[in-house]
Amino acid sequence: MNQETQRENNLDTRSSTLVAKGLKKSYGDFEAVKGLDFEVFPGECFGFLGPNGAGKTTTMRMIYGASIPTGGRLQVVGLDVRGNERAIKRRIGVVPQENNLDDDLRVRENLLVYGRYFDMPKKAALRRADELLDFVQLTEKADSDVSELSGGMKRRLLIARALINDPDLVVLDEPTTGLDPQARHLVWDKMRDLVREGKTLILTTHYMEEAARLCNRLVIMEDGNIVVGGVPDELVEQHVSPQVLEFRSDLQSLKELRPILLETADNVEEGATGEALLAFTRDSDAVLERVRESGVTVENTVYRQSGLEDVFLKLTGRSLTD
Amino acid sequence: MGSIRIPSPRGAFRVWQRNATIFRKYWKSAMFPNFFEPLLYLAAMGLGLGAFIQQGGINGQTYVQYIAPGLLASNAMFAASFESTFNTFVKLRIDRVYDAITTTPVNPEDVVAGEYLWAGTRAALYGTGFLAMLTILGFALTPENPLISSWWALLIPPMLLVIGVMFSVMGTLFTSLIKRIDLYAYYFTLVVTPLFLFSGIFFPVEEFPAPVPLLAWFTPLYHAVNACRGLANGPDLAVLGDVAWVLVFTGALALVPIQIMRRRLID
Repeated sequence: MNQETQRENNLDTRSSTLVAKGLKKSYGDFEAVKGLDFEVFPGECFGFLGPNGAGKTTTMRMIYGASIPTGGRLQVVGLDVRGNERAIKRRIGVVPQENNLDDDLRVRENLLVYGRYFDMPKKAALRRADELLDFVQLTEKADSDVSELSGGMKRRLLIARALINDPDLVVLDEPTTGLDPQARHLVWDKMRDLVREGKTLILTTHYMEEAARLCNRLVIMEDGNIVVGGVPDELVEQHVSPQVLEFRSDLQSLKELRPILLETADNVEEGATGEALLAFTRDSDAVLERVRESGVTVENTVYRQSGLEDVFLKLTGRSLTD
Repeated sequence: MGSIRIPSPRGAFRVWQRNATIFRKYWKSAMFPNFFEPLLYLAAMGLGLGAFIQQGGINGQTYVQYIAPGLLASNAMFAASFESTFNTFVKLRIDRVYDAITTTPVNPEDVVAGEYLWAGTRAALYGTGFLAMLTILGFALTPENPLISSWWALLIPPMLLVIGVMFSVMGTLFTSLIKRIDLYAYYFTLVVTPLFLFSGIFFPVEEFPAPVPLLAWFTPLYHAVNACRGLANGPDLAVLGDVAWVLVFTGALALVPIQIMRRRLID
């Protein structure tokens, strides 16, 4: 109980990098964000996981001042977003979803000109730009045109640009969307480096794997609300059994299979496309044995560990990547 | 949310500086058309049409002398109009340059103010080159009757900066209201071209029947042309009235596009 109160009080302390209470955003009649409560502590990597249209980007935009909340409260780096936009923007870095690098400037110039927006002295900006180009492995491209960079390189340059002012908080909106696996892994490495350096990161993603790998804590969003939040492994543990069996077959067979699975498995969900049944269990052998005994035709069975995707499916009845 | 935003000079300067950095790379190719176009008008209208204008010209000046200062003003209008329409549109909606800038301590209102200043600067740069050319040509071709005859002409470059800012405010207002780039055809056909033709560059509007001179008085390029002509042929204290008109009009309108552009960048 004492701990509970302490935690309550903590919500208002300046030590939190980000505090949202009842945060809302409407556009006319449309409510994009319907009342979010969350808190992010220094040094964390905090994720917003959810399908497209869940309200993740709107939430990010409110954090970096591109969108003004229509309800609730939002504190960023200890300052209320109302009336502190410049002071907040001075202390955060933003990696936007869409590339908005300055095409008329070369790679290094993008960083230098950006540094000027923060009133960085020229010498300091030059030194910082070269450090950052080294960090994102673009030193050889320093004098190239932005248009010559690949998608992954542009994303890394956006990350470098977001770090020019040595921000307390880095906001990354879908940092790996549209990247090939190799480029994605490189971006993940850079994000892990930042967390190791003690930076606070918040990111949005609709990749379960990304959230599970990078985030200390995360919230799962759907339809403008937070469905659930916590530590990735704990969320999986709390909400779904550790093993999943996916059965694929014709609709008739799946219909027959369902009661059998319900008998033996902890939980049964329909796959997002309706062509599969997912059985969550602690003992997959027992479930498989029971299915074999029943004689129902199963075309294809996949065994895997459960993950955040399954948590999302269980709580919303929807798939994350649609 | 409803409060009126005033730009920060430092933020505006950063945006101006960004444009200057890019201009430094491309200035040669960017300058040339703007520099060459008024010369074409001067040759076609001044020499071609001017040959048919009776001896004595207009107000005791040859036709070329009459139109040259007005072309300085219209050149500033064109330079600032292109900057605040097509260029600003691309930065706002296509390249999303402003989105990137406004996630830094530079706010949308600073961006717009910086663009005003940049458009003015560009107008002044082009105009100064053209002014130098007119002065040299005038003294070289007809030394007894030069195109630019007064030391007051040294005040033309700062005047062109002010004229550039004025047309940048107008162009930015239109940019802040449209969603499609093809709508600029309306702005140029219905605003810029009529101003160019009917602001006293090619003929004195004062001598037209009753409502015309009054209508002209309410339009911006008319005063810009008067100011440039007065400075080119000075001393002429009537210039002060035109400068005051330009300053009041620009000042009264400048904050409007700033508020609208802010809503385009922050929802």
